[in-house]
Amino acid sequence: MKKADIPVVKRSLFSWVFPGNVKLQITLLFIIVVMVFARVVPLEMQKRVVNEAINLRDIDLLFLYCGIYLVAVIFFSGLKYLTNVLQTLITQRATANMRKELYHHILTLPLGFFRNTQPGSVVNSLVTELAMPGNFVGMAIAAPVTNLLTLLAFAGYLFWLNPLLAAVSFSIYPIVVFLVPVLQRGVNRANKRRVDAARTLSSRIAESISGIHEVHGNGAYGIENKKYDRLVDRLLKIRIVWSLYRFAVKTSNGFFISLGPFIVFMLGGYLTIKGQLELGALVAFLSAQERLYDPWKELIEFYQVYQDGHVTYQRTMEFFDVMPEHAIAPADRKPFDLEPNIDVKDLSFVTDSGIRLLDGINLSLNPGEHLALVGFSGSGKSTLALCIGQLYKYTGGHVLIGDKEVSDLTKKDMVNNMGFVAQSPVIFEGTIEDNLLYACKARADGNGQSEADLPSLDDVISVLQQTGIFVDVLRFGMNTILAHDENQELVEVIVRVRENFQRDFGKELADYVEFFDEDKYLYYSSVAENLIFGTPRKSAFEYSRLCNNPYFLKFMKQADLTRPLLSLGADLARQTVDILGNLPPDAVFFEQSPIEPDELDQLKLLVEKLKRRKLHELSAEHHQQLLDLALRFIPGVHKMVALPAFLENLILEGRALFREKISEDEPEAITSYQVSEYIYSQTILNNIFFGKTKTANPQAQEKINQSIIQLLIEEDLLETIIEIGMLYQVGAKGDKLSGGQQQKLAIARVFLKHPKILIMDEATSALDNKSQARIQNLLETRWKEKNTVISVVHRLDTIKNYDHVAVMKAGKILEIGTYDELMARKGMLYELVGKK
Amino acid sequence: MSSSERNDANANPSSELEENLEILRQTYFFSGLPLETLKIFAYLCTREKFKKNEYIFKQHEDDGRAFYLISGKASLERKDNGNAREIRDCKSGEFIGGLTLMGEIRRLFSLKATEDTICLVLEREKFSKTLQQFPDIMPRIFKAVAKHIDSWEERFLAGRGDMCGECMVNLGVSLI
Repeated sequence: MKKADIPVVKRSLFSWVFPGNVKLQITLLFIIVVMVFARVVPLEMQKRVVNEAINLRDIDLLFLYCGIYLVAVIFFSGLKYLTNVLQTLITQRATANMRKELYHHILTLPLGFFRNTQPGSVVNSLVTELAMPGNFVGMAIAAPVTNLLTLLAFAGYLFWLNPLLAAVSFSIYPIVVFLVPVLQRGVNRANKRRVDAARTLSSRIAESISGIHEVHGNGAYGIENKKYDRLVDRLLKIRIVWSLYRFAVKTSNGFFISLGPFIVFMLGGYLTIKGQLELGALVAFLSAQERLYDPWKELIEFYQVYQDGHVTYQRTMEFFDVMPEHAIAPADRKPFDLEPNIDVKDLSFVTDSGIRLLDGINLSLNPGEHLALVGFSGSGKSTLALCIGQLYKYTGGHVLIGDKEVSDLTKKDMVNNMGFVAQSPVIFEGTIEDNLLYACKARADGNGQSEADLPSLDDVISVLQQTGIFVDVLRFGMNTILAHDENQELVEVIVRVRENFQRDFGKELADYVEFFDEDKYLYYSSVAENLIFGTPRKSAFEYSRLCNNPYFLKFMKQADLTRPLLSLGADLARQTVDILGNLPPDAVFFEQSPIEPDELDQLKLLVEKLKRRKLHELSAEHHQQLLDLALRFIPGVHKMVALPAFLENLILEGRALFREKISEDEPEAITSYQVSEYIYSQTILNNIFFGKTKTANPQAQEKINQSIIQLLIEEDLLETIIEIGMLYQVGAKGDKLSGGQQQKLAIARVFLKHPKILIMDEATSALDNKSQARIQNLLETRWKEKNTVISVVHRLDTIKNYDHVAVMKAGKILEIGTYDELMARKGMLYELVGKK
Repeated sequence: MSSSERNDANANPSSELEENLEILRQTYFFSGLPLETLKIFAYLCTREKFKKNEYIFKQHEDDGRAFYLISGKASLERKDNGNAREIRDCKSGEFIGGLTLMGEIRRLFSLKATEDTICLVLEREKFSKTLQQFPDIMPRIFKAVAKHIDSWEERFLAGRGDMCGECMVNLGVSLI
């Protein structure tokens, strides 16, 4: 990597042209020089064909010159293609580099910056806005050099042919160079006014449309029309002026360029008639002059790209021109291994707008001591914790960790010694395991540690238990659908224990589980599962492919299911779009629907079709889509549509008919549900149950968990299921986890890291009482006297055993001491506890 | 929208979604909301069965769920220093826990089913994610809640205010 001394936001646009692209740019330059030469050769050949070959009536010469002409043209085209390739390469590499470096910079910016910055504008800058400057970088060398060289080469050639004629025809260009920018300024002015006028017009329209009931109520059509028409007339005038200027630029440029040949004809014709210029030279002259237009036009275009690219680049970089508050890693030493004693002296924190959030804070913690920060919201307790943790840069006083000033430490020093659980922790897309190891991996990164230094499975499992997320991970594991031939051992055990499980727990769980019963409709299974009532063994019979399977389609027709299912599918489609149409692709909204978030757009199109056509008028493809939707319908989950009783009966009859037919026609395609076989299309849990859970009710879940854990312990399968559960994908921003699960995962993440200093900012607020007590207990028994803990606390019943309790108000510590001391003093804490 | 309404009317039998919608329309917390958002809430609600003597929620827990009793009966209880007291009965048609949707609140009471009970349940997480999509409904809910608290206390003062005795000094929940 090159030296990153200059921060990316201070780099000029031109600084991207060569670094990283030197070889490409030099190759490009070389090709351009050859290319320009190849461009002039045909002109000379043109002249020679007329002057020599035709004049001397020499066929050989004609062939020779035409041959050279042809080679030059082919050569030129090849080179032109090559320059385009190189230019694209440079453009894309420059854009990619800008994107990477700017993103790397943005991530290091202080938290304060992001309070005033929308994520959307960061996305926009990185994704959209850097494309234009990247374009410029690609053209920066190639475009001006090619076109200037071409212009010069043609000019030189023209002067070589006839200096007088060349000088006269070039005399036009200064006029163009002067006139075009003047007119262009007029265009820009008019354009600005046009944008403003269009904006006024838009807000006028928006206002009258949103107030349409008022317009109707008052019959005020005339008034509104007048307001609107006036604005349209104004826009009309501005647009005419704008267009006039634009055409003026184009026309004047074209006019002066076309004047060139006129002068050449006049003067050149005169000179040729007088015998002072050869005919061939005149032809070459005319031809060269015509070709001046292209490079000239491209230069002007390049100028525009430069202007646009420069402005966007400048604006983007200025927006992010903020410096990180702390260096990321020490440059000339190893990261510190700090003693976990903390001294805060006369600490203050004042925001940019002058609000004093912390004032004269003093406290001191020995290694392994635990401090609880309490107080009303807004008292500054979180701010204090964040200042100690270097997430906020304090503006006055000192925070010393292991006698080192926190503001002088690098991020790496802090990360190696500190762990942090935020108020609303963020879980990132990936598996549970990825998220658990997030903090450990980040610490190992840059410490020269390898994967082997990461915690073992035993460590992970014990942390899962400590934080209470164990049961959740177990459930994710239990809800996994195994692939064929995966975990053979597990599969065998499940089939073996199934009957015992039914006997032991069947009755108890009957309210929460719908057991697979051949004679009953399964309300918690899809229509497809209800019909097939078995595991597909051939891919054509997989549930998602049934709607394309001719055999199955024929069966549905025979069973009189096609029409009613089409109609069910149409109902589902309409209702789903009606409800979910405007919602974002968050798992929460789609869980209770038969579609995945990315299928919504396609479904919308289908519903549009349904509005305009009758069901039987739709194409076969649309019928398939509707059948697919109907086959996915699970009446117990998808509550937007009810399952009509007649259809339920038809499906039950269909199940019997299907079994009969398939066992005759293709017995190997389906394995029917039977207690002696593992069902690969179902989750592990459903396999144990030989049925499906009906409810997500927490109490039911707990009962189910208890019986399942007992079983898994007996069969020594707990670890296997946990390993499977750790591969659960948590979704973007962890949206497939509940708030409590996210918080537990965040705590587990930091426990696994086991830092010397732990800062918890209301870290257990979303947890149930039991989990909260468990974690508190763990801190008191395992962490005390070893790891220093600062905990911002929202519930006062957990603070009794802290070494220090600090009560804060308005950015100050009002009192600090042990819980008993403070209660005996009957001060603020006493009052707070009383109020709660 | 009109097409879907036409469909709703023709659909046979009525779906759980439609029934939920009917319930929410008559609940103070939701009744002021536009039909589009109401439909989403009706869709996100689930139904849960509680057997006799099962707890619907427990004191001190933050379960983050609001309940509408569709059928059955439940008893509201509070435990202080180990002594459980029955506060009152909750009957079908009652909506309980609107405030828990708005923020983290630990229950001050327990609710126990005294018959087999079916509840319509909405979770805070679903509620708040929907709210993020339709921020303009927030003021309507604030208004409904403020008005509900105020009229609750007004009714209380008019009916029982003079029976309060020592507790008089603690009146004024509508002044928060």
